[in-house]
Amino acid sequence: MELYIALKIIWALLLGVLLSGLAIMVGMDMGVGTLLRFVGKTDAERRTSLAIIGPHWDGNQVWFILGGGAIFAAFPTLYATSFSTFYVVMILLLFAMILRPVAFEYRSKVDARHWRASWDWAFLVSGALPMIIFGAAFGNVLQGVGFHFSWDGQYYQDESFIWYLLNPFALLCGVMSLALAVYQGGAMLMIRGMGDLAARARRFAVAGGLLALVLFVIGGVWIEFIKGFVFTQSVDPGMPATPLGGPAVAMRAGAWLDNFHAHPLLWLLPALGACGMLGGSLALLARKPVLGWWLGALAWIGTIATVGGAMFPFLMPSSTTPAQSLTVWNASGSAYNLGWMLGFAVVFVPIIVSYTGWAFRVMKGKVNPATVVADDHSY
Amino acid sequence: MIDPTVVNLSRLQFALTALYHFQFVPLTLGLSFILAAMETVYVITGKQIYKDMTLFWGKLFGINFAIGVATGLTMEFEFGTNWSMYSHFVGDVFGTPLAIEGLMAFFMESTFVGLMFFGWDRLSKPAHLAVTYIVALASNLSALWILIANGFMQDPAGARFDPTTMRMQFKSFSALVFSPDAQAKFVHTSIAGYVSGAMFVMGISAYYLLRKQHREFAARSFRIAALFGLISTLAVVTLGDALGRMDDLLQPTKLAAMEGLWHSAKGPAAPWKLFALPDDAKQRDAFSIGIPYVLTPLVAHEWNTTIPGIYALERAAKAKTVSGIKAIIALKSFGASHDPAALAAFRKHENDMGYGFLAQRYAPDQNLSAITPALLPAVLAKTARASIPNVFVEFWSFRIMVGLGVAFIVVFAFGAYYSLKNELEKHPLVMKAAMLAIPLPILACEFGWVTAENGRQPWTVYGWLPTFQSASSHGIGYMIFSLVGFVLLYSLFIAAELYLMFKYARLGPGEHAVQPKPLPVPARPVFGQPGYANKPWQ
Amino acid sequence: MKDLVKFGALAIVLLTALLLAVVAGDYGPWYFAWLVGTTMIVLIAVSSAVLFETQEANSLAAHKEPVR
Repeated sequence: MELYIALKIIWALLLGVLLSGLAIMVGMDMGVGTLLRFVGKTDAERRTSLAIIGPHWDGNQVWFILGGGAIFAAFPTLYATSFSTFYVVMILLLFAMILRPVAFEYRSKVDARHWRASWDWAFLVSGALPMIIFGAAFGNVLQGVGFHFSWDGQYYQDESFIWYLLNPFALLCGVMSLALAVYQGGAMLMIRGMGDLAARARRFAVAGGLLALVLFVIGGVWIEFIKGFVFTQSVDPGMPATPLGGPAVAMRAGAWLDNFHAHPLLWLLPALGACGMLGGSLALLARKPVLGWWLGALAWIGTIATVGGAMFPFLMPSSTTPAQSLTVWNASGSAYNLGWMLGFAVVFVPIIVSYTGWAFRVMKGKVNPATVVADDHSY
Repeated sequence: MIDPTVVNLSRLQFALTALYHFQFVPLTLGLSFILAAMETVYVITGKQIYKDMTLFWGKLFGINFAIGVATGLTMEFEFGTNWSMYSHFVGDVFGTPLAIEGLMAFFMESTFVGLMFFGWDRLSKPAHLAVTYIVALASNLSALWILIANGFMQDPAGARFDPTTMRMQFKSFSALVFSPDAQAKFVHTSIAGYVSGAMFVMGISAYYLLRKQHREFAARSFRIAALFGLISTLAVVTLGDALGRMDDLLQPTKLAAMEGLWHSAKGPAAPWKLFALPDDAKQRDAFSIGIPYVLTPLVAHEWNTTIPGIYALERAAKAKTVSGIKAIIALKSFGASHDPAALAAFRKHENDMGYGFLAQRYAPDQNLSAITPALLPAVLAKTARASIPNVFVEFWSFRIMVGLGVAFIVVFAFGAYYSLKNELEKHPLVMKAAMLAIPLPILACEFGWVTAENGRQPWTVYGWLPTFQSASSHGIGYMIFSLVGFVLLYSLFIAAELYLMFKYARLGPGEHAVQPKPLPVPARPVFGQPGYANKPWQ
Repeated sequence: MKDLVKFGALAIVLLTALLLAVVAGDYGPWYFAWLVGTTMIVLIAVSSAVLFETQEANSLAAHKEPVR
């Protein structure tokens, strides 16, 4: 039984790693997509921006797919319930995510102004929208989501989807997520771009980093007034994975800070996030984009870890039937499954990291607009 | 209460998005290995024309690949957004191959495809060749894990239902991965992709040859594709035969529907229906022509065996339903009370529980406890009828797929023969056939999907979870919103894709085979292929 | 040193391939068939192209014959 608990915790951590990887790598590409129309005044500059992430966006996007697959396998009930309750939002996210690869491949294949301008808009929408939704999902989950289960494990939704799109706290999280993405994308444009392109990217990135910092602090204060979730009965972390018949759960304002009060070391996580945002913006101001990029990654990790640290062990609490809230303990896969997946992750994650690193090394260096425009193969 | 309209709309959406995605997958699977073969020749012989071939077909590969990846994303998320009960019920075992696919194959494919397109002047010849092979291998590995997941839906090996968590729990990794259905289906699908890729290359090359354009380029491409395709097609047919035998053992309802078998086929003389018009409502053929002494040896590879027909299968389903209803009632009571007696009652009938779920739809208020003895015969009859897939669709999609497969053998055989004799230009008919056949393998793949998945109905997990039970509890408004969005977006994509494919295929590779120009090296070689930029065809 | 690394990497690749073939051969006859079949299909396609070059070289030589 202890092994099962350990596996559940490890997979909760790996979920955090995946979400961070997704946020950093996909967020960077999304940021570039969002900024495309603003940093690129000429077609050459826009193509250069695309060429900067060109060889890598496809690989980065896999973080997103892997995220979906890993949640499906490691937390099946969470996958089933969250994707269905957030249906409209998820479908919008999906539309944006499938528009993007096509935009990459098709934009520069036809030399007509309207064609390219349309795809540039597609980049803006398909870059900004997913990041807002990504952040808003965290915001919604923090406030609890209205759902309950029937005896056979089917979920039923108790809330209108309009709420998920338009509630103020979720919007704040969404904008913060977009700001960080703009920061990360801008940093990448500075690393591999030149001249005006890099200069404009720098302005947007610094603004994004500072805006994210402000919103992070506001969110931190706001969370004190939001109703968090706590167990009111003792919990067996090794319980079989079912949301039915679990221990009682109560909602109380400020409960999300309980973990921080109990373990003050956790305060390091938000500190890490804030330092990343502030330090990163300063590094970009000082024209150190590589350092800035890594500090931006740190900001993401700190932010996501802060949310995870506040909520643990809750994953998606139910505001209408709190006792059926999904937690790390009751929404996970079986021990056998988690064990096998861990085996695969231990073998393949280092391999992935090494060949991704190799691919970046092979393609490193500044991107020259002249080469990009002359080469019809490039994006 | 489950709303049948929502279930049907969810099915429609899944079928549309899956069939759409599956237009692009076969080309990716096949073209990637054809590219690898062409580049191998380039590395061996050092002839520039083979690099040009790799680049040109690689460009078409890229257009196809992007949209394949994009639409594949939909599939990964649709299980959660539209099939929540299914995801909850099998996520513990079904999600695992999907996650492993991401870790093992998709990451590799997507990372290396960037290097394949943009790394020509940054990698040595052998290193780039290795990258191309990795892309090809990873694309097919990706298909492997997806089809292992699909194999679980067809034959749930390696998992067991657990009444405490109300879901299938993963029990044996090797049983899942080495399930015979998954194995045969993977090889069949992957190689069907090779056929599609080969026909694509051969057909477009034939177009150039017919117009006497790019002859050096097209004759070589034709040769490689024709040989590649011929052997692949033969392999696909072999594997299809293996799959048929598998269905005989594991999915008798699918096989009966595929062959239009209303009555059981006993002994060697039973006819194999060459042509028939099955009428699902009346459960008989409106018309049929059969060939005796073909069916039994074809399906079972034996002379004296009985293949159960639909009437017999429905009778068997009724008995299972009686037991299944008891299983579900006991399961529900165990869920509420955790009473060991209820668990024992469930255990007695657990293997038929799927049929209990299936009967739910026909019970008053979808509540099995409300079935009175007077109502039972009607519920049993409806459940039994529902346990058989649509025979007309199954019968014909199977026959179209097989018929196309046989036609491909002919086209590839003639193509390969005349290409080997260097007499292609004397036989324009062969080339015209190859050209017209370009989209047909993809069509055959689509019909193969219909055969496999329509034949699985009414189950999402064969024998355990009915499709009706699997969908998310959405309102109709949600479904209309997403369906309209998909139709609009996907129409836009296909228009753009076809426009670009035709544009680049028409432009062709250009005449540059005779004397490759020395490549000027730019001051800062960054992206793409320096020296190719000045060529009008790119 | 570099050669040694190359040799080691190659040895690992070969050993993995061998292991894969043994496991696939034992438990997954169809997977094994796929590995062998795909290799064969690619090799035949490659050799058909090499044959094309030989044929062309021969026919060029045949055309040149009378001139000499």
